[in-house]
Amino acid sequence: MAYGGEFILRPRSWRRLGRFAGYAVAAALSPSTYTPAAREMAVRQIYFMAWKVLAGYLAFTAVLSLVLIEVVSSAAVTYGVSQYAIELVLRVLVLEVIPLMTALFVALRTGSEVGAEVALMRVNGEIEDSEQIGAMRLYNELVPRVAAAALSVFALNTLACALASALTYTVFFGFTDAGFEAFTRVVASVFDELVLVGFLLKSLVFGLAVALIPIATGLEAERGNPRSVPFAVLAGLVKLFFVVGAVAVLSLVVKYL
Amino acid sequence: MAGEEDRQGSAGPGGFSLLPRSLGVKVGILIGLSVIVAAGFIVYVLIARGTFEQTQRLYLITDNAEGVRVGSDLSFAGFPIGIVRRIRLRDDGKVRISVRIPVEDAKWLRASSVFVLDVPIVGAAKLRAFTSNLQDAPLPDHAERPVLRGDTAQEIPKLVATARNILESMEELVQAGSSLQQSIANARTVSERMAGKQGLLGAALGSEENAKKVLAAIDNTNAVLARLDGVLAKADKRVLSEGGLVDETQKAVVQANAILGEVRASLKRVDGILADAQVVAGNAKAATADLGALRAEVEASLRKVSALIDEINRKWPFERDTKIKLP
Repeated sequence: MAYGGEFILRPRSWRRLGRFAGYAVAAALSPSTYTPAAREMAVRQIYFMAWKVLAGYLAFTAVLSLVLIEVVSSAAVTYGVSQYAIELVLRVLVLEVIPLMTALFVALRTGSEVGAEVALMRVNGEIEDSEQIGAMRLYNELVPRVAAAALSVFALNTLACALASALTYTVFFGFTDAGFEAFTRVVASVFDELVLVGFLLKSLVFGLAVALIPIATGLEAERGNPRSVPFAVLAGLVKLFFVVGAVAVLSLVVKYL
Repeated sequence: MAGEEDRQGSAGPGGFSLLPRSLGVKVGILIGLSVIVAAGFIVYVLIARGTFEQTQRLYLITDNAEGVRVGSDLSFAGFPIGIVRRIRLRDDGKVRISVRIPVEDAKWLRASSVFVLDVPIVGAAKLRAFTSNLQDAPLPDHAERPVLRGDTAQEIPKLVATARNILESMEELVQAGSSLQQSIANARTVSERMAGKQGLLGAALGSEENAKKVLAAIDNTNAVLARLDGVLAKADKRVLSEGGLVDETQKAVVQANAILGEVRASLKRVDGILADAQVVAGNAKAATADLGALRAEVEASLRKVSALIDEINRKWPFERDTKIKLP
């Protein structure tokens, strides 16, 4: 049995993940995958992953955003650079913190659950050995979950970012449209083409990571060995956190270096 | 978990329950809303960045573009009207800052506009445009303009040196015994005197006694002037009134005229007398000339007599005295 941390260092595990990702993305993009049963599965998954948690997640985002906005704006006023406060908030909150937080939230909320489910299926022999990934079973069971997880991350991330932007505007300008032009100008200077493309790309990669890694790692559970399930789930989460962190750092490196 | 039974249904192969209609609608709303928000945000950002706006270019040339970055604003009267799109070092070592200005904002820039790069101590550099006359010809597209650089940081050492000089001078001025202090003390003395009984006069003359003297002198002068007034009135009367000095003088002048006429007649007579006298004098002159000849004759006769006497004496033995007595 391998400990969670060791999965990160196992090339075979990453190869399996890469192969699974390729199959799953290709399948998720092909319309023939979405049989009525698969579609229903996807809708159900989105309902549980995103809709059920939407209110709570947005409330949490609002509180965190207000705290961060307050910290940044008061610090900016203290240092006499209040004209950069909005830009700072947008860069820190909307571009970095909220996508990362959404990815981690969805990973914690559903990643372990889905990973455990897939691992149990593997233990029970409902899914064949990894060499036969791409069989009918994968389409029916796994691809809708992958698509649902990616869409959930996208939806939560988009709405949370919109809420954070609206809160930023409200905190700085109040309930008027007086500051709209100034705010638009800051948005224009923050979201240049590179940043916008990078932001969309990062959101996409976060969504795929959250959707793929727990499921792909759950497949590593050993058939007929229920003890391997917790390890596979833990390994999936560790790998997921590692990938999400690496993507966040990589995007920062590309953006600011 | 709220949807436990739903998940149970999905666990087994072919065990899908019929999807509740509301569930599909909710998920549809969620995904649709997210897509609309995301698309709306992208469109908003593109509009904010002026992707759909007609723009014109302005090239600003400077020696040093430090602090300027792509995305910096070009502001006019504190309002951002353009965005720096590109910064390039030219072959001649100068920096070309390419600024994109929406056509509707380009009206603030004229051919006579001046551009300044302001580098504050804290914060990013600011590009500013100044237009003194908004009636000038509009700035053409792709215009190239130099940038004046106002670097606060470079001015600071100079400023500190000047400020130190000023402060030292101030210290000298303010310290006890300085000329400023003395001046202030004197000013206070003067103002105290001015506030005193004799006022400004006392302040100007230094003491109250002097001021009193001046006042007394002024009083005396006034009295003298009053008397002088009387004297002048009397003099006026004497000189100009009937039988006054001027009147008498006129009479005297008439008399003097008569006298002068008499004098002139007398002078004419004197003239005649003088002419006679001249004639007399001419006669006397001629007589004088005759007298000369007469004398010469007398002298000659005397010499002859003398010679005769000498002869007689020589021939006359009674007298041996050879001494000759001249007349």
